[in-house]
Amino acid sequence: MTRLALICLLCIPFLASAAEREPFDDRYCTTCHGTDGRGNEGVQAPRLAGMEPWYLKRQLENYRDGVRGAHPDDIEGLAMQPMAAGLTDESIQDIIEWAGGWNYVPAEHTISGDLDAGRALYQPCATCHGANAEGNEALGAPALAGQNDWYMVTQLRNFLAGYRGVHPRDVYGAQMRVMTTGLNGENDINNVVAYINSLSD
Amino acid sequence: MVKPVSRREFLNLLAAAGGAGAVVKAGAALGIMPADAAASTLDLAAGNGRSAVILGGGISGLATAYELGKAGWDCTILEASHRCGGRIFTVRHGTLIDELGNRQYCEFDDEPHMYFNAGAARIPNTHRTLLGYCKKLGVELEIFINENKTCWVQDDAMLGGKPVRNIEYTTHLRGFVAEMMAKAMHETDMDEPFTEEEAGTLLGMIRSFGDLSEDNVYRGSSNAGYASGGFLSPGVQNDIIAFRDLLKTPFAMRLLSTNEGETGPILLQPRGGMDQITEGFLRQVGDRVSYRATVASIQVRDDGVEVAYDQDGARRQIRADYCFNCIPTHLVTGLDHNFPADYVRALKHVLRGEAYKAAFQAKERFWEKQDIYGGISWMNNRSQQIWYPVAGIHRQKGVILAAYDYGGGMYHTRMTQQERVEAHLADGEKVHADYRDLVEKPVTVGWHRMNHMLGCSARWRRSFREGWTGETEQHYRTLQAPVNGRHYMIGDQISMRSAWMESALLSAHWAMADLDRRLRNAPA
Repeated sequence: MTRLALICLLCIPFLASAAEREPFDDRYCTTCHGTDGRGNEGVQAPRLAGMEPWYLKRQLENYRDGVRGAHPDDIEGLAMQPMAAGLTDESIQDIIEWAGGWNYVPAEHTISGDLDAGRALYQPCATCHGANAEGNEALGAPALAGQNDWYMVTQLRNFLAGYRGVHPRDVYGAQMRVMTTGLNGENDINNVVAYINSLSD
Repeated sequence: MVKPVSRREFLNLLAAAGGAGAVVKAGAALGIMPADAAASTLDLAAGNGRSAVILGGGISGLATAYELGKAGWDCTILEASHRCGGRIFTVRHGTLIDELGNRQYCEFDDEPHMYFNAGAARIPNTHRTLLGYCKKLGVELEIFINENKTCWVQDDAMLGGKPVRNIEYTTHLRGFVAEMMAKAMHETDMDEPFTEEEAGTLLGMIRSFGDLSEDNVYRGSSNAGYASGGFLSPGVQNDIIAFRDLLKTPFAMRLLSTNEGETGPILLQPRGGMDQITEGFLRQVGDRVSYRATVASIQVRDDGVEVAYDQDGARRQIRADYCFNCIPTHLVTGLDHNFPADYVRALKHVLRGEAYKAAFQAKERFWEKQDIYGGISWMNNRSQQIWYPVAGIHRQKGVILAAYDYGGGMYHTRMTQQERVEAHLADGEKVHADYRDLVEKPVTVGWHRMNHMLGCSARWRRSFREGWTGETEQHYRTLQAPVNGRHYMIGDQISMRSAWMESALLSAHWAMADLDRRLRNAPA
């Protein structure tokens, strides 16, 4: 009896210190990406709701493995990369399932441009991303319609500047880098994104 | 015979020296030397069963619940995280630091003096609304030591990186500047001259400011401390550091004014950690707080506000007559809402702060062996500051601040935890040679990544010189005003001086007083 009591006493500090740990919530994507992953311009975090599971998986793996978000000038990517660094295959699957339940809300348009110029610029894009920017899983190209326009502008700039798509393992990113060489300056970027906006009207 | 000097010339000299004259002028312009001492107080009409939902348990939300509750309102606070206080954040044994991508549990020894104020850390004596609440809520205060001239100043570019005492550095600096002023006073042409008496007083002031000899030359000063002796044997003066060496570091431009303005004396802190303020409010309104309740939607209606929030894996609804919202503006933009376009534009206009802090547990209070009790050592490197604690003087251990980057905190924020700690060790051992062996159990807080906040204090786009531009001020007024008379943004973010608890309280008071006035004037 005495011995049992002693063992219990020895156990208590350990149990107490384990019990003291404030529990945390690992499902924190929406802190940045907004209610139901709708995207939040305030912290430059894009819409995840409605994103194809295969594309979400690829990007989370890229971030986790340092294939994306490692370039010192990819400011938004640098913010995302440590969030994914600790993910396991299981937690990525959990996020994808969680994100699959989010209500899809097409993003609000914040950018305007020359739609005719944008249509012409979009033609090479359509080969992979589809005429209505609906995406094409077979070609690994995500939907663009309904995505936050400010996010697309940032990513096009990143591809152009070599902040994204330069890691040797980023095969799709490298393709995008080649495709963006047809864009000449901010006007072109705005115009093509404005055209993509018009496809989700 | 003292030669008169023109007043304009003299003031120019003072301003150029960055001395007291320039500082007082700037202080008056910022309105930090107020004429009378009246805390903001509220006299709200009876709530008559009205309800308020308060989004966020930061100090502005807590004060709102406290004041409205006293007036008979039915208040509910929805707090997204596991704790109230927001950027009032005291880290101690077992504290969860929920930095996204860098979650930590604090391993400091479990003792009352072993804490680190990772957010708000100083209360200026003029922040009387906050001090008034401390008094009312029974929050025990003690003096916080900001400037301690026994602390160190270190710059790789000065004296081969050897740290010098702040008192040595600033005494010599003042001596040389005073010598220049005294010389200039004799050489200046007369226009609008001082009288001989005035000029004599001025020269006396200059001599005293720099501790000059009778011939107006600086030959060192006992103000810089003694190298040895002073009690039972004559004090041996410290060697003078050459003026040119003092000018090798940009601290020449800052160190004479680090204890002026908002961080001027007297500063206070709650005994036992800044979160004692949060605890004080929670003793009054703790039963009104719903934790781990993340707001998803705010819909402002004609007769009230509907809020949806996620808690325990379910989406819940609450409806109230009015809503007070201290969620950071940059997170509000990611919620489902029905705010008007100009309001959303204003929300997007505000940038988020990037401040970063880190702390170590010290195995022994090595600074006290160097006569340091409280205060700040300044380093011209990215860790910038070491703060020594007032709490626990002469105890075995203590918690020191190892880095405080209040402007460009992303430098450390973008590092891994290991890189951050190594950076602070490498910076700190330039001041304390055995630093690396004497400190342990690091904690770091990158406010830009703290869950449910994602930023330190709001950064309104303004320039120090130009002040608030018309556009910025318009956005500010837009966010200060209620939406449809029902929804108020509050917090230090809705003030012209973000980052201070006083600003958060005054913002909440403004909103409650505005609503109270409208309710009193409304037709029955």
